[in-house]
Amino acid sequence: MEKNIPQEIERFDISARIQHIIMFVTFLILSFTGWGLKYAYAQPSSAWIKVWGGAKMAGIIHRVAGITMLLDFIYHQFYLLNLWRKKDLRLTIIPMPKDVLDLVHNFLYFFGLRKDPPYFGKFSYLQKFDYWAVYWGMFIIGTSGFFLAFPVTVSVLFPNFTLGWIWDVVFTMHSDEALLAIVFILIIHFYNEHLRSEHFPMNWLWLTGKMSIDTLKHHHPAEYDYLYGKESERRKK
Amino acid sequence: MRIGLSALLLLLFTFLQVPAADAATDAATCLSCHSTMEGAVNVNQEKYSKSVHGSFDCVTCHMTPKGDQHQGLTGTTPDRSVKEIAAKLAPKGLKDPIAMAACVGCHPDIYKAYLDSIHAKNIIVMKSSDGPVCTSCHGSPHYIVARPSMESKVYLFNIVTTCGACHEEKSMTEKYGFSPLVMERYLESFHGRKLKLGHAGAPSCASCHGAHDIMDVKDPKSPVGTVEAKKKTCGKCHPGATDKFVAAITHQPMHPIAHWTEIGLIVLTVSVFIFIITHVLLDIFSDIRNRLFRKGGNH
Repeated sequence: MEKNIPQEIERFDISARIQHIIMFVTFLILSFTGWGLKYAYAQPSSAWIKVWGGAKMAGIIHRVAGITMLLDFIYHQFYLLNLWRKKDLRLTIIPMPKDVLDLVHNFLYFFGLRKDPPYFGKFSYLQKFDYWAVYWGMFIIGTSGFFLAFPVTVSVLFPNFTLGWIWDVVFTMHSDEALLAIVFILIIHFYNEHLRSEHFPMNWLWLTGKMSIDTLKHHHPAEYDYLYGKESERRKK
Repeated sequence: MRIGLSALLLLLFTFLQVPAADAATDAATCLSCHSTMEGAVNVNQEKYSKSVHGSFDCVTCHMTPKGDQHQGLTGTTPDRSVKEIAAKLAPKGLKDPIAMAACVGCHPDIYKAYLDSIHAKNIIVMKSSDGPVCTSCHGSPHYIVARPSMESKVYLFNIVTTCGACHEEKSMTEKYGFSPLVMERYLESFHGRKLKLGHAGAPSCASCHGAHDIMDVKDPKSPVGTVEAKKKTCGKCHPGATDKFVAAITHQPMHPIAHWTEIGLIVLTVSVFIFIITHVLLDIFSDIRNRLFRKGGNH
């Protein structure tokens, strides 16, 4: 072996880990408080909102958490800029045509039509989807949330012909896309990082930032090859 | 002798049936029958005594008890103004219009405000039976409780249901051209949801439209009658409300653009949901398969 292969590699630096923690803590708070309002007429909602200190307090908590999340998101853009400035930024998270092929490949693999799983890079298509879903969420839920939090200020921005429906659209965007985000996180993220037999009860990566070389090789073979060369990979086999 | 005995019996009977005439002004006397009677004439003694009017004698409002069963009971004599008010409310077809008019005796200011309202005009001027009188919204005066109580029909959230009793009725919305979905649109709005969750600052119908002196929304005197009025009304909670801001709430059915956006987003959510559920399930199956049949094959 020409290159020294370590036992584990750092996948997320400390800044990324903290960003993630702020993101999921605010996400949970927003989901919990928002859920009560979305399903205000369902039976346990009034009691649930009382847990958060009543409708008024729940509203304040929701706004504070929302603004914190937006700031976290904005900070992430500066974090990326900084990586780029230090020439540390690899564009591994950008969706590529290969991701579509990987998706088809993965389904064939699920059905037993391909023997090996796709040759995933640093991030699989699902992880890319997960990452960009946050951008989608920030755009749709973040802006609509901002509109709803400051309706008087924002109202002057809307052209007259939109006034009859814009608030319904904003409200629907906020509420339905939030549900989409919750459902997505609850299913994909919980399965992949918590329930998956190899990770249960959770993937400790969120705290350590480290991924074992075996996992890397197994789940992100292209990244492994990129880092340590195909040759060593072949020799190891 | 025989006649004398009959007269005595009759007298005795009368005494047993109808208590002493002057005792009739006492609520207990009326309740001795009415608390056990069935149907509309029943008065629940316990609830009555707890109501804000619980200390009143029945004849304070029911000044002229009618019918043979009340013979020998002395009521009070309604004065001319009460009779006039009762006559004005005639289109409503009340059982005891005098009793309804009696509310005015203690609440004259509210009656004055009510007279200006679209509700009162519909009854008094238009001679229609549509439109509320005091009890339509406040419920039976026997059980009226002070407003900050969940029991009250005009308590913040309850008032929405109370107004809805008429404003949700199809016959009413068609006859008077209200928005047919006014209740639904309010209930699903932020205002309605927050009120439901117990937000004390959330507005109910009366918070914006007014109560006793409620006006037609097209009436410039209504607190939501003009853009300027709306800016003032909305501004109570949303300081600096602008022309564009106050245009937001119409209680009209959802605009097609909003409706189709909602449908689009629901389709998106459901498709993503189906996709990820399928993906996760297949992933689980292939994981199980690998563990059972391809032991270590991938590692």
